[in-house]
Amino acid sequence: MSQMMIKDRIPREELLDSGHLACPGCGAALAMRMVLKALGERTIVALPACCWSIIAGPWPQTSLHVPLYHTAFETGASVASGIKAALEMRGDRETTVVAWAGDGGTFDIGLQALSGAAERNEDFLYCCYDNEAYMNTGIQRSSATPWGAWTTTTPAPVPKSHPKKDMLAIMAAHRIPYAATATVAYPDDLIAKVQKAKHVRGTRFIHILAPCPPGWKSEDEETIALSRLAVRCRVFPLVEVENGERWRLTLDPPVAPVAPYLRRQGRFRHLTEPQVAAIQAQVDARWAALQRRVGEGG
Amino acid sequence: MPEPRELTDFDHGVPPVAVSLTSTRVNPTGSWKYIRPLFQDKVAPCNQGCPVGIDIEGYMNLLRENRLDEACELLLRENPLPAVTGRVCYHPCEIACNRAKLDAAVSIHAVERMLGDRALEAPLPEAAPRTRDESVGIVGSGPAGLSCAYHLVRLGYEVTVYEAEPEPGGVLRYGIPEYRLPKSVLAGEVDRLRALGVQIRCGVRVGQDLPYADLERHDAVFVAAGVQRSRRLGIPGEDAGGVLPGLDFLREVNRGRRPPVGPRVVVVGGGNTAMDCARTALRLGAEVTVLYRRGREEMPANREEVEEALMEGVKFLFLAAPVAVRASVHPHEDEPLEALEAMFGALEGRTPAPQVVGLDCVRMTLGEPDASGRRRPETLADSGFFLAADTVLTALGEEPDLDFLPGDVRRNGPAVRVNPLGATSRTAVWAGGDIIEEPHTVAYAIGSGKRAAIGIDRFLRMRAGEATDGVDLRELRLGPQGNLSMTRWREDDPVRRAEPVNEVVRFEQLNLAHFARAPRHLDRFLPAEHSRRTFAEANHGLRPPDALAEARRCFNCGVCNACELCLIYCPDVAISRGDGAGFTIAYDYCKGCGVCAEECPRGAITMTREGL
Amino acid sequence: MKKVLMGNHAVSWGVKLARAEVIAAYPITPQTQIVEELAEMCAQGELAARFIKVESEHSAMAACIGASAAGVRTFTATSSQGLALMHELLHWAAAGRHPVVMADINRALAPGWSIWTDQNDTLAQRDTGWIQLYCETNQEVLDTTVQAFRLAEAVDLPVMVVLDAFFLSHTSEPVDLPEAGEVDAFLPRREARLKLDVDDPRAFGALAPPGVYMEMRLRQQEAMDQARQVFREVDEEWGRRFGRRYGAVERYQTEGADTVLVTSGTVTSTARHVVNQRRARGERVGLLKVKMFRPFPTEELRLALAGVPRVAVLDRNLSPGHGGIFAEEIRSALYDLPAERRPRLEGYVIGLGGRDVTPAVIGECVDRTRAADARNGAPAREDQWVGVKP
Repeated sequence: MSQMMIKDRIPREELLDSGHLACPGCGAALAMRMVLKALGERTIVALPACCWSIIAGPWPQTSLHVPLYHTAFETGASVASGIKAALEMRGDRETTVVAWAGDGGTFDIGLQALSGAAERNEDFLYCCYDNEAYMNTGIQRSSATPWGAWTTTTPAPVPKSHPKKDMLAIMAAHRIPYAATATVAYPDDLIAKVQKAKHVRGTRFIHILAPCPPGWKSEDEETIALSRLAVRCRVFPLVEVENGERWRLTLDPPVAPVAPYLRRQGRFRHLTEPQVAAIQAQVDARWAALQRRVGEGG
Repeated sequence: MPEPRELTDFDHGVPPVAVSLTSTRVNPTGSWKYIRPLFQDKVAPCNQGCPVGIDIEGYMNLLRENRLDEACELLLRENPLPAVTGRVCYHPCEIACNRAKLDAAVSIHAVERMLGDRALEAPLPEAAPRTRDESVGIVGSGPAGLSCAYHLVRLGYEVTVYEAEPEPGGVLRYGIPEYRLPKSVLAGEVDRLRALGVQIRCGVRVGQDLPYADLERHDAVFVAAGVQRSRRLGIPGEDAGGVLPGLDFLREVNRGRRPPVGPRVVVVGGGNTAMDCARTALRLGAEVTVLYRRGREEMPANREEVEEALMEGVKFLFLAAPVAVRASVHPHEDEPLEALEAMFGALEGRTPAPQVVGLDCVRMTLGEPDASGRRRPETLADSGFFLAADTVLTALGEEPDLDFLPGDVRRNGPAVRVNPLGATSRTAVWAGGDIIEEPHTVAYAIGSGKRAAIGIDRFLRMRAGEATDGVDLRELRLGPQGNLSMTRWREDDPVRRAEPVNEVVRFEQLNLAHFARAPRHLDRFLPAEHSRRTFAEANHGLRPPDALAEARRCFNCGVCNACELCLIYCPDVAISRGDGAGFTIAYDYCKGCGVCAEECPRGAITMTREGL
Repeated sequence: MKKVLMGNHAVSWGVKLARAEVIAAYPITPQTQIVEELAEMCAQGELAARFIKVESEHSAMAACIGASAAGVRTFTATSSQGLALMHELLHWAAAGRHPVVMADINRALAPGWSIWTDQNDTLAQRDTGWIQLYCETNQEVLDTTVQAFRLAEAVDLPVMVVLDAFFLSHTSEPVDLPEAGEVDAFLPRREARLKLDVDDPRAFGALAPPGVYMEMRLRQQEAMDQARQVFREVDEEWGRRFGRRYGAVERYQTEGADTVLVTSGTVTSTARHVVNQRRARGERVGLLKVKMFRPFPTEELRLALAGVPRVAVLDRNLSPGHGGIFAEEIRSALYDLPAERRPRLEGYVIGLGGRDVTPAVIGECVDRTRAADARNGAPAREDQWVGVKP
């Protein structure tokens, strides 16, 4: 079909309420909405410190129609482990426990707890919504911040000079049963992955790229366009990995150069043409490496 | 969706821990915004591009949902002859189609044809109720006359159509060849119109069989008598035998006769009549050459017609023009004896007239653009050559024969002058079709008939003291440049539209990320080696499933088709399905991010300034 | 049934009797045997619990918090550095009102590395909102462990059961094990009032604006206040059922004493011996053992110490820049007594980093206290640090 009609693949249930405190155009808010649609109401969310600590609403509010536990920055995976253990002890094997963390809570401060839980193959779904910096504290670099990006702690004369951590590969290296990337531009892909993950036992990891207009210095309305471009220019390929071995591209839309993706974000405004070319080279090299993995695993 | 239980057992009003007691819906976060989205249905370029004024996008959308009957109904609201136009219209809608900029235009004509054929198979409708006292007389049963009659009957008037020829249809019946438009298809369409109550009196030539004054017993008259006179070559020898006006040739063939044409036919001209003549002559067994003074790119004929002619074996001689007809009284010395005897027998002993043997021609070249914007052909010195021909068909354009009209019907050259609603300078007389200054196509004719129907309805209502003032013609147009919409005139649009505006959606306003490339389904043709020898219909259109697939290629430019991407992508859960087909935006929660408008594939959401 | 148990195993047996449902722990000397034993109990099917073998103490506490929030009985154990690593989440457990029970083996903090006992690890967590109960014997360890769950779940606060490294953790003593059925009657399965429940979906721990934060802390303080009374009731019921009770404080030979030693942990046992010796010599020396440090047993301490001329507080801990922590807390508790009934209070820093606290050390504290009457003003440091090399 020439128009991609996806509505039939998107569950109608809404478990996120309006009135939440996300910024206009927030990719993270949308990501939560989609993930909850995929999981349904028998879900419990463990929420370490991140933008979502605010988005969920101050006391006495909540924006979710599922139970939510606000917890400390580095404890997403460990609190989720505990919740799941408790449910098991009380005979509930149906409810999905979700750790919902930002990139800081995943790539950086929460990595130890996540690695521990993944090694133990704890039975939960870990979703990292990645806005590529500490956005809730006002745009400081994290290890998810891409090379060349401006943040308040990597100011433009000296933008971030290290590449983004390959979180998916790290998780795949734990040989967990399911790991995947997804983004809000492709809700059907995202929801299909969450639904697949929902029915897997053990640690499941989904890395969701979630554009942040204030942090990326992009227009509010471009959130979807940017996450789509990220996939198309292969900055953020959509893949899944089963048991750490079988790598698979789930979507491979027509490829685009990386420059338009960068140029639509103020955080990359300072980049010179050679720097953009360098990023393109990095992306190409990583894509080639991914192709090898897909080739080996498939 | 589970709701939390009420928790009230706190001594101090504040619970021991920060446990939620309510939803974030208590926050009117919509107050953050300074711009707001608005569902605003616009006009698809095909609709504006259609001279008939059809809601093409509308029926495409219904077809996308497999609602064929409703699609048919929507089409018939504007176009009385869809099985005809689906075949013979040169579909300017497809030139306007935004999809052409992605891969290829939607095959609108094929979809319309499928719907038109479906309408032909349906039972005939009941007569439209007569709700008006007035009657209208219409001169000519071509596409303009039939269109005007159809709409007026549906508006409740008594309508009589006067047709000079023995069968109704005008150019559809006597101009367009059978292989493009089977007579049975036209007959089916006319049957439906008659069933609705249109009276057609054939064999009545106004000004000859019926004085024009008699027409004025009607409360209004619509003149759509068409064009009959072919322009002359204007070169020496053109009165020789075997030099025929193209229109006369086509009329003869369409009357079921097979006029004798020599083995070598030359058609002079580059328009659609030239193509019809060439392909018809081909079917009569001739070898045909089209002689055109400009190049292929400059031909006014429809590109597809030219391609089909080429495929069937018509030869083209471009950048060449005749300067004289060469004739002889003994042209056919190598013809079989029987043919010569037949010819001389027909002469009944009179001196045989000179018969054409060919054309003296010159080569041309293209100079500076002329008033029409096309490059002016100029004669190349010393380029003369001879082109042998047994028959020459002229197709250099046609003119109306309007001698029967009263003198106060003002003209502009050969054409009748009309106002934007088709009214002539004479009270209660309207005109349309090929006799007014518009392109001579079936679609324009049908559009002019509808326009006149609206004008006549408005005139008669005003005369009867009904309030129709303040009708804004611009609002009746589909887009600023489109034709009039009968649905808008009748104000009974079956399509629910959100905050409609009469802007046409440009390609740049679409979000192409949501469309995958999909090849256009191509019409099925008889093999050229077969079609060139038969009057059977050459183009068989699309199979219904393929036509439906074409409808799904439609972008639905500017009109919400409930794809729900706005709802799916809203980070604030502020868009919901309303009652019925539309969507509701909860402005209390919409933060004005604009994602919905940006992601709308078809430009059906507009961001507007808050508070305006 | 009597069983010879190390203090660590007394904890494990207490946890088993309490039927903890989720255990999350990380090894650290000298606590490791607790979780080894629990792992074994789980592996053998003697204890139906999920044991989460986390990668850090921080995660241990986090997992306990998650499990407790989901409504089950949870336990962890740690010591020293591990407890310090948990610090952030100790606040979380307490303010989140999660009745987690934790055993902490008192061990000195590095550097230099020490695995030996002192109380700085637990006392450094004084303000995290945990109930703290210090133990003297392995029997008390076992009894307190079971009681802790009952107390914690009654007031929705976490409880720390504290015992000295090696002197209890690795020392074997005969311990009377209550019957499992009787413990079940004392401590039924936990039924949480509020928990993560898909049928009653709520958020826990959201942003608390200034308009409500204080009230939430007031609720926490009220629960702590309530815990004093609840502990009394729990202790009495335990006593009725199993014949042993401990009290928030315990008086020993305080009748007519002119000098009362105040101790906690295993120093108490040595101090009992010193009191016996002094009493035998006719000296009117008594002992007050402090079991409950948080909530602070202010009333019990006032009742016990009002009118006593001299009080010597023995602190196996130090708040650098101030002094022994028990001494400062008790001094503050007695401040409101009328001047004539307010004791002279001397504080002594002893036994840091596992330094032996011998009868001689305690004896010196008694002697210095009795001699302090002649001194005016605050004591010099050499008068406060006992058993330390010059």
